[in-house]
Amino acid sequence: MTDRASRPSSASSPESREPVDCVTALRQLWDYLDGELTDERLETIRRHIDICSRCFPNYDFEKTFLEAIAATRPECRAPERLRDRIEAALKHAGFGGRCPR
Amino acid sequence: MAELQTARQDADLRFEREALPWLDDVYRFALSLSRNEAEAEDIVQETFLRAYRSWHTYQPGSDARRWLFTICRNVFLRMRERGRRQVEAEDGDVEALAAVREHESARRDGVDELLTRIDLAPAISNALGQLQEPFRSAVVLVDVEDQSYEAAAEVLGVPIGTVRSRLFRGRRLLQQMLLDYARDAGFATSPPGGGESA
Repeated sequence: MTDRASRPSSASSPESREPVDCVTALRQLWDYLDGELTDERLETIRRHIDICSRCFPNYDFEKTFLEAIAATRPECRAPERLRDRIEAALKHAGFGGRCPR
Repeated sequence: MAELQTARQDADLRFEREALPWLDDVYRFALSLSRNEAEAEDIVQETFLRAYRSWHTYQPGSDARRWLFTICRNVFLRMRERGRRQVEAEDGDVEALAAVREHESARRDGVDELLTRIDLAPAISNALGQLQEPFRSAVVLVDVEDQSYEAAAEVLGVPIGTVRSRLFRGRRLLQQMLLDYARDAGFATSPPGGGESA
């Protein structure tokens, strides 16, 4: 997983460009990794993490942790028997179409 | 009568083209929530049945996948009968800082290195299966399904701040379970101790 920094921003802060302390950076670490900060805020947090000996290990740990969760995403298709079940149940409810295969 | 028949056929065609193609995604989401194939299949069948019966309420052009995820999650909760026993999370910032404190404590114990030393997939899958609602849905939507806070908020029908706090609490609970797992597996010799404040 990469940082999700490309997502549209949902959190903004008037002090986006001001340097941050560790508590502020750590409080927003997950927002940062989720790409849920404004571009300016994201850059401010990134600059802090890059040079902070306390925050970088936390960043590294959380990033690895989130990548491990994302890796549990099952890559699977719905089984054929389920498609059959759904098609039958829908037809029973009046559906006149077909379930894609 | 003929007009009614045509309208129904049109509705069925739209359902076939707009809703049913998401069957694999809904199945994967249901599987991530339930961690059980048989239960996931029941959830998906009920989801599409409810969606079909409510198709007249679907706004054409809106996000059918999100709409189906909302129904799916509701079906899951109903099946688990957990809807009325949900625990809410603290403020997101509080959760984030609490997670940092726990991680720093674990680092002092040498436990955090487990992430690079063992295959975490089975442990995380197991921990996700134990994570209670409403935290599990938030984690699955954002961390497994890679949805934004905004999309997750729409699926869950709650404000973005609530998604954030549930997500952060869910992650913290998962980390606690993983760190306990690491300690039990002998990755650390000392018990979790109190740490410096973040």
